[in-house]
Amino acid sequence: MSDRGNETSTPVELSPAPQTVSGKRVLGVVPGKPAAGERKVIKPDDSVMVWPHLLVRHAVAAMATMLVVMIIAVLFDAPLRDVANPQVTPNPEKAPWYFAALQELLARFHPLVAGVLVPGAIVLGLIALPFIDSSKFVKPRHRKVAVTTFTTFMVIWIVLTLIGFMFRGPNWGWVWPWDEWHCEL
Amino acid sequence: MTLDQNEREDVVEREPDKHVEDDLFERLRQTSVGQSIFRSPRRVTPRDRAAGHWSSFLLHIYPVKIRRKELGFKYSWYLGVISTVLLGSLIASGIYLMFFYVPSPSHAYTNIQTIQTEVPFGQYVRNVHRWSAHLMVLAVAAHMGRVFYRGAYKKPRQFNWVIGVVLLMLTLLMSFTGYLLPWDQLAFWAVTVGTEMAGYVPIIGDQVKEVLLGGPTVDSSTLLRFYVLHVAVLPVMIVFVLMIHLWRWRKDSMLDQDLEDADE
Repeated sequence: MSDRGNETSTPVELSPAPQTVSGKRVLGVVPGKPAAGERKVIKPDDSVMVWPHLLVRHAVAAMATMLVVMIIAVLFDAPLRDVANPQVTPNPEKAPWYFAALQELLARFHPLVAGVLVPGAIVLGLIALPFIDSSKFVKPRHRKVAVTTFTTFMVIWIVLTLIGFMFRGPNWGWVWPWDEWHCEL
Repeated sequence: MTLDQNEREDVVEREPDKHVEDDLFERLRQTSVGQSIFRSPRRVTPRDRAAGHWSSFLLHIYPVKIRRKELGFKYSWYLGVISTVLLGSLIASGIYLMFFYVPSPSHAYTNIQTIQTEVPFGQYVRNVHRWSAHLMVLAVAAHMGRVFYRGAYKKPRQFNWVIGVVLLMLTLLMSFTGYLLPWDQLAFWAVTVGTEMAGYVPIIGDQVKEVLLGGPTVDSSTLLRFYVLHVAVLPVMIVFVLMIHLWRWRKDSMLDQDLEDADE
């Protein structure tokens, strides 16, 4: 470590008798930092080489991801229901889970609001976000307005998604997922 | 972010302490064949290694150096890498499935049944494709959340966030167009519900819906349209936009962000 070099000790320690290490005579040992293989502490804002430091971490993350996908794919089969039949409408009719929040909004508000204005505002808001939250601060406690707004919308969105995905049954009525299971993936 | 002592210890750069002649790979790179393969064959000093990285095709999507604080799990949760790996998994499994699938209402469903029962590893590959798709939507959304809370979109990285929003939209469209392809009841009615939303756009709503579906309702032309979007148009778009996303990440990675509350 860096503070080792500041230690005060005898500058040169002479060996009592000449020693030989791999064919070379050792004349003395100098205390302090080693001249070769020097270690220096890297501060958070200092740069480090991507190879190997970042690439080994990415390799581990990639392998972990593939392992998780393999395990899920071995354990659970993708769903396949009856062949599509335009004459038989299932009840409830469910959109894919990532549109469940929109579908839940559609059940509560005018389609123009839920189907066009809200998703449009979300996309525009997301695009504008870095230009609105443009202070020179990154820590959440220094960006309370941005963090509170984003968190509020995110929580609302997650709750609506869960309601639409798990808590809606026939005729979009309320069901408890442990009573009736209507979740489709 | 506080870094404990142990974490600091594992990321220290060493001065080179090995000799060229001691290293087999170093010697191989110095042969005339090695010099023809590697544009920058010497890897002794840090400067050599930076030059080696810089001149490598496979590493060109990465910056040569990155800030030490951006390395760890805590910084990014590696959600960008995870999303990219899932995209790779989807492309690989999707190409395999394409060999056994015809996008027409009379073939699609039976093809899926054949994939599940007769095609070697068909059920497994279909499972990988399905679950990777759901996980990718989750990973991309979580990546966006992590970038937000980390404040990682601050100047000069604002525009890369905008590109990321486009990638999220493309991911959702990829997933949604793929949802129809099995042509089962789940697919048919989920897409019927999903595309009804497009009909609510004022004035041009019906036209938008008709362009998407190729008619007033979900039928064979919808299946063909979604298939072409799913296997050709959207993958090309997502890979292209992802390339711009990664390129901006690399270009901006070491630029000064001029922050007033940077770590330590």
